[in-house]
Amino acid sequence: MTGDRESPTDDRGGGTAATQGAVIVGLAPGSGAGIGPVVVETGPVGFVTLDGRRERARLIPGEPPRARLETADGVHDILLTDLPDPGRAAAGVRRFEVVVDGWRFEVDVESEARARLRERASSARGDAARGGPVELRAIIPGRVVSVDVAEGDVVDAGGRLLVVEAMKMQNELRSPRSGTVGRVAVGPGQTVELGDLLLVVE
Amino acid sequence: MSASDSPLPFRRVLIANRGEVALRILRACRELGLETVAVYSDADAHAAHVRLADAAVRIGPPAPQDSYLNIEAILAAAATTGAEAVHPGYGFLAERAAFARRVTEAGLVFVGPTPDVIEALGDKLRARRIARDAGVPVVPGTLEPAAIDRPDQLPAILDEAATIGFPLLVKANAGGGGRGMRRVARPDDLPVALLDGSREAADAFGDGRVYLEREVVPARHIEVQLLGDAAGRVIALGERDCSIQRRHQKLIEEAPAPGLVDAERRRLHDMAVAVGAAAGLRNAATAEFLRASDGAYYFLEVNTRLQVEHGITELVTGLDIVREQLYLAAGRPLSEGALAAAGHAARPGSHAIEVRISAEDPGRDFAPAPGLIRRWLMPAGPGVRVDTAAEAGERVPPEYDNLLAKLMVHGPDRASAIDRLAGALREIEIAGIQTTLPFHRFVAGHPAFQAAELSTGWVADHWDGPAAAAREGRLAQLVGGLAVAWTKTGRGDRDRKDVRDAGRGGRDDRDDGRDGSAWARAALEAAVDRWPGADE
Repeated sequence: MTGDRESPTDDRGGGTAATQGAVIVGLAPGSGAGIGPVVVETGPVGFVTLDGRRERARLIPGEPPRARLETADGVHDILLTDLPDPGRAAAGVRRFEVVVDGWRFEVDVESEARARLRERASSARGDAARGGPVELRAIIPGRVVSVDVAEGDVVDAGGRLLVVEAMKMQNELRSPRSGTVGRVAVGPGQTVELGDLLLVVE
Repeated sequence: MSASDSPLPFRRVLIANRGEVALRILRACRELGLETVAVYSDADAHAAHVRLADAAVRIGPPAPQDSYLNIEAILAAAATTGAEAVHPGYGFLAERAAFARRVTEAGLVFVGPTPDVIEALGDKLRARRIARDAGVPVVPGTLEPAAIDRPDQLPAILDEAATIGFPLLVKANAGGGGRGMRRVARPDDLPVALLDGSREAADAFGDGRVYLEREVVPARHIEVQLLGDAAGRVIALGERDCSIQRRHQKLIEEAPAPGLVDAERRRLHDMAVAVGAAAGLRNAATAEFLRASDGAYYFLEVNTRLQVEHGITELVTGLDIVREQLYLAAGRPLSEGALAAAGHAARPGSHAIEVRISAEDPGRDFAPAPGLIRRWLMPAGPGVRVDTAAEAGERVPPEYDNLLAKLMVHGPDRASAIDRLAGALREIEIAGIQTTLPFHRFVAGHPAFQAAELSTGWVADHWDGPAAAAREGRLAQLVGGLAVAWTKTGRGDRDRKDVRDAGRGGRDDRDDGRDGSAWARAALEAAVDRWPGADE
């Protein structure tokens, strides 16, 4: 997302907004690819401000982890579980598992003010490192069947890098962009867990 | 009935499988007073089937080829425990003729068709020829393997393909689960599809032979449950519609197939029985057909084993198919109950539906999604049956099939079965892993499913997984935001009792409708109370 978004919380001024109001909620890595972060701020009872737009929504906690979410389009069954992690807590990020209508996501929540600071820092780094290395990590646990590239190989965007077998199915990992294979962290036959580094494209 | 008529010739049954089907077989054995022997890999040391069996034997590390596909280890387990019969379940070794043969040669009873029948029907081309010779129409296509190793034959193959018509399918002779299968839209793509399909089939089955079949679309997938005895008698217990599939693997099945009249049903059952009888079928098997939109039936293949979805036939017929398998394996003739069920098969008096709860992400083309099951709550109630071996706190191993549970519902008619399905799906709570649950909720509520508009293209026609996932992902973000916003606004203001009173009475002076109402703070207090670490 862009760093200079006009946040609705800015207009209201004061420390309240920064410390109490708006949070940024993103999908955790590997969860719900393609869904961008949103800014959430509680509004009057029964309302929430979502990326600056006011919407009807309220969360009714039940016996944990159960909850219900009421929105304009109906009621949704929720299972909400905190996934505490000291590292994330130190960075000001909290992760929850949210199961909504049977769909499971992990969301990362941090205060908007903090996220914007971090974003500014990383976009500055990003300018310098544009075209920098991309780390490819396992999005499912499984077994590496084959590795089609070696360190130093030139790969095209979409080129096959390796194959991971999970639950009797072979899943191909393709290169997100053109570049050179910088590092291959796994070999055929190796078992990988969710999030393990597979290889790096530079 | 005849359970106590004469003792079965075996007392101890080894179950060469895992997961829900191992439990299913174990229960049937127990009801007959048979002892059970479980086998397990290191990934399953704490699994339910190991715990519930009378004896359990470790057969190797998690990889299937080292454990549940390891014939030597399984036979050794049978020998050391004194098992006298082996039930293979489905998958793994269930349709390996070599396994059935080794079991038989070891002097044990194999609970399934004979090795020769498994071999004959497992060879898809041979099965097609058996069906054709029995006067049963097969899907238009070839009856011999394509001569892909002979480039000079390519023109002949292309001629055959043109006769069959495009699009067509390249299929593996030893096929199953869509492996080795390729859809070919244009003649130009055929040579590559033949080679790719053959290579994949050789990898998966050790048999690279492939053949051509017309792609019958739109079509329904309808299959017939068969039983056969040693006297050569074969009966049909009824049919199942399994049209709702992804990647040629079933997601939802129902019995009976909706919309068939009695005469059509009878004709279908007769065709299935004809194929089974021609093959010399013993024990249980399932004959699969495609029903084209003009009502024509085409034979596809026979699965020579207990079928995953056998339970819905049990619900409609009142039979226990695994028990019938054990009786038949013991050499008994078809039971009175089975014969009576076959007599009613063309006029079923009730309806059952099964949905497969699998560790898959329906938002990412049903990609496997193994992991740790944090929460696992299954439904119950009249007309609801759940076959599962999954438990909360258990890790779904990436080595095996991702089927976690089969939810089956039963009602007097299809509409009431769908109502029960929708209700049961609402009761399910699963956390920690993504499953097919939201897809099933979608189907149960979809007008096309309710109107019995079924076809093998149903998922492609109606399901937009990425869009559904994006919509629900946004709700998940909203939930995460609300959970944190509340804990921030309410932190440490006052004691909990006060806040809760304020929540009910709405008299809190900070209830300015801006930074979280009294109601929200009450909710927040509950959250802080119950979610460890929620107040940072």
